[in-house]
Amino acid sequence: MKKPDLKKLKEVDFKKAAKDFVYGKPHGERRLGDLYIPKTGLYKHREWRGIKDTMYYFNNIWLYNYGMIVRDLMVYGGGPKGAIQFLKGTWRYRWMGQTYLTVMHWFDRNLEGMRGEALRGSAWHFRGITSACLLQITGWFNRDLNIGGDAALRAKTIGHDETLWGGIFYPYTDQGIENIPLQMIPYFVTCHCNNHTVLNYIDASQAYGLPGDPCPMCQAEAGIFIEDDVPDSYVALITTNEACDGSVGTSVIQDWMINKPLFAMPQPMQFDDDSVLENCAKEIEGAWRFTEEQLGVEFHWDELVKRLEQQNELQRFEWEKWDVAANTNNYPINGVAQALYRIFQSQYGDRPLWHDVDKRVKKIMDKCVEEKINTFPMTRHRVIAWSCAPLYYSAWCTWAYNCWGLNTIINMDSLMFDMEIRTDSYENCLLDMAKYHEWAPMRRMAVGGLQHIFELWENMEKFNCDMVMMYDQLQCKGMQGVVGLFEDEFRARNIHAIWMPHALPDKRTVPRSQIRQIINDYMFTVMGEEPLDPSLLDFDDIDSW
Amino acid sequence: MRDLKHLIYFEDLLQEANNDLVRKGKEDGNLCLGYTCYFMPEVLLDLPGCFSVRLRAPKCTSPDMASYYMSGRTCHYGRSLLERALEGGYNFIDAQLATETCTVTCRFQEHLGYMDDVINNSTFKTEFTDVPFKKNENSIDHYRKQLKLHVLDFLEREYGVDTSDEAILKAIEINNEVNDIITEIGNFRKLDNPTITGYEFSVITLVSMVCPKYLIVDKLRETLEELRTREPDDKPNYKIKVLLAGSENDDPDFIKLIEGCGALVVADRYCYGSLEARNHINIEEGDDPLTAVAKHYLLTSQCARFMEQKEMRNRKKVIADYAKEYKADGIIVASNKFCEYWSYERMIDTIILPRDYGFPVCSIEKEYINTASGQLRTRFQAFVESVELKKIQEVK
Amino acid sequence: MKRKAKKKRTVGRFIKKTLRLGVLAYAGLFCVFYYDLDGKLLYYVVEPFLKNHFDNMERRDPTTVPYEQIDSEYM
Repeated sequence: MKKPDLKKLKEVDFKKAAKDFVYGKPHGERRLGDLYIPKTGLYKHREWRGIKDTMYYFNNIWLYNYGMIVRDLMVYGGGPKGAIQFLKGTWRYRWMGQTYLTVMHWFDRNLEGMRGEALRGSAWHFRGITSACLLQITGWFNRDLNIGGDAALRAKTIGHDETLWGGIFYPYTDQGIENIPLQMIPYFVTCHCNNHTVLNYIDASQAYGLPGDPCPMCQAEAGIFIEDDVPDSYVALITTNEACDGSVGTSVIQDWMINKPLFAMPQPMQFDDDSVLENCAKEIEGAWRFTEEQLGVEFHWDELVKRLEQQNELQRFEWEKWDVAANTNNYPINGVAQALYRIFQSQYGDRPLWHDVDKRVKKIMDKCVEEKINTFPMTRHRVIAWSCAPLYYSAWCTWAYNCWGLNTIINMDSLMFDMEIRTDSYENCLLDMAKYHEWAPMRRMAVGGLQHIFELWENMEKFNCDMVMMYDQLQCKGMQGVVGLFEDEFRARNIHAIWMPHALPDKRTVPRSQIRQIINDYMFTVMGEEPLDPSLLDFDDIDSW
Repeated sequence: MRDLKHLIYFEDLLQEANNDLVRKGKEDGNLCLGYTCYFMPEVLLDLPGCFSVRLRAPKCTSPDMASYYMSGRTCHYGRSLLERALEGGYNFIDAQLATETCTVTCRFQEHLGYMDDVINNSTFKTEFTDVPFKKNENSIDHYRKQLKLHVLDFLEREYGVDTSDEAILKAIEINNEVNDIITEIGNFRKLDNPTITGYEFSVITLVSMVCPKYLIVDKLRETLEELRTREPDDKPNYKIKVLLAGSENDDPDFIKLIEGCGALVVADRYCYGSLEARNHINIEEGDDPLTAVAKHYLLTSQCARFMEQKEMRNRKKVIADYAKEYKADGIIVASNKFCEYWSYERMIDTIILPRDYGFPVCSIEKEYINTASGQLRTRFQAFVESVELKKIQEVK
Repeated sequence: MKRKAKKKRTVGRFIKKTLRLGVLAYAGLFCVFYYDLDGKLLYYVVEPFLKNHFDNMERRDPTTVPYEQIDSEYM
């Protein structure tokens, strides 16, 4: 038997070790990077966050969410039959089988190093997103003719582009219809959860002749249809031109592969001009007529009003959150949770689960404000993230805080859909719905004139940020078309901005390690700062989810 | 074939955007109005006292300054336009009538409006028009309103241009004259043995877009008369006839490159081509001139940005119908690198046109200026050979 | 009396056994959590297996999908 090294044992500060055990190591001493198994992103062991937070993570996040996933499957899926459909779907669709089983690691990546109320508030956001995903997944599978789903349910289901706001279908939700965003689950969320899957879809598009330079998001969206990896759960679909030329291009491929009745509901580009609203409103009415024709339903004004009022409630709470984020250091939600929850919730539309999550988050946030809890105490810089984010590395915000104290307060996509919708009359309601749709994610700032993309400056001020993380989506023509002017403006305004190159879902173009290296270089050389956790500076996670 | 009398003159006019006729048009006291996209109806920019110039950046092979502003990962055409603007090449434009119809040309035009000193012309302004993605009643109505607000009202308010119905009718008249001449010239391409080459026709079409119409129309008419009696070569110097479809192309040398490989370009269904762009503008009974213009430009366009299902599916048939009408043996689908719309459209055309319409397709990606491309030459030569072989086998 | 006491003992034993099992299960789950055994199982076993399955799945040839006009009054 090996003798214990007494010399080393004597050097151990037991008091400190006990304190670390009880409270967790303070930020600055953590060495989170040492926990990784090289290349995989797996942990040798999960982080010890002190007794309270570790047990909270184990009980209220890890165990709770695994349990709630089973519960959601049974409740949303309608009992054992739903569970069987789920298993069939898992076997049939790559985006399900290869992706979503790894969901708890998604929580892990995004919640690394977090403590206290910030851990709790952020985790609830992920719980909301997971639940909404399961609602859609069970919705897909229960109706899917490819795996023996219910044809009657399918007959009451309409598919639509994920960038088409789900609220368009509010007038029919009391008539047993379902609207399913076509790409949200097979594409969008997969990239965050397990970015391996999406690469198959990008490759599929290119295998049939699509060049490599269009936006990889649109390539992937086309790819899931080319690969025949989309359930046959709907009778017709509605498409939109949001967010860009590539989305329009994808529609051509999707239309061909889906081969079902299609209604196009494009939005005007020059949305500052109020004269475009009428056109947009009429297209919404056209989408309603199409839905009624295809699904055999009627327009219910009262239902529309009810759902919009509920949605307005979600919007008012979002503003409350922005207010706390902008003006205090008590905001208990990290950058990635803020971004993903907001984009998912506002795009998918009102659902009861969002209200449940918001209630819980409000309680946590109120506590933070009342007790003046500094939720991200090691913040060195308040960061605003601008343009479209790398989907395969949305967790960069968590890493950047842990490594450098860069706290991402708000991001561009969160600021879309920034309005309440009037319900006092049909006309006002319709015009507001049109405006709302024109202000969709990836679009509100990106089209309709350069002045919108430069709203960055006022938002920087509003959210009290001193630094910009400038996403540089290499294949986004709209953003690439304006890089020089941004450079000029950053220089003229003396703003610290880090350009983060990426290719949205495709990690092969700019690996995550390269993104970290770019941030590290800027922080060392331009800011002259030292990392809070040097173990996070350089690690190999090339094959991780 | 005998050389066309004015061809060299036309070619000279394409050497720079601010050509002799543009200068003459300005000297005559006219406003010069720039545009890039078919959706900005040139007829409204040809109102009395104005003339339209569809912007080009001839010979721009290395847009270095523009690549700083728009990166090297955007369409070469959009960047070349900005490069030319930054060089001072568009200072002669009095206003840019812009559209947000494809991302990169939109960004180029936004730069013109945003950067104070890029166009050195005190009267210069940029005005954007919203263009719908559909061809339904709602879209026509919307488009008409936009043209009224952002073209007619803008020109009247800022430059005192007469935008009355009479003025629009006059502009339609001169445009129709040019449209009819070009269409008639283009019809010679339908002959079994065409009496005009694709290159010549592309030069003629382009000059009609970049020069004041009243200054070029006589020479176009003369060319048409000349073509009526032009005899084809006894032995055709081409091996096959092709239709060229795709994204923006204002480079006649690209057509020359294709024809140098033995494929005569007999139809031009691309951005800056004549097909649809040179259709006669009709005014239906009950429509005012502006409504007629809105309908014409929206309904004739076969742009890849239209999203209605029937339009998406029909435009493949339109290409096939043109190929049949112009007796093409094959179709070349060319998209500019970084062009999002045509990347997808080309992909589907490449599969559907041979499968459903029986036309062999050569699918290529190109740059804005391509003359030195050996790679493209190889592709075209191989395509010509394969179509030729197919034809021989069919005869057997 | 004896029977009652026996029953009590049996119930007590059952509760103890259940509690013990519960504690063991909880401790086991904590180990799975702490040592990221769920992640390791998914990464090294489940994902490669499913990936292999999906890679070898027979799929429709997309180029055979028809491309004709579809009618609807409102499209």
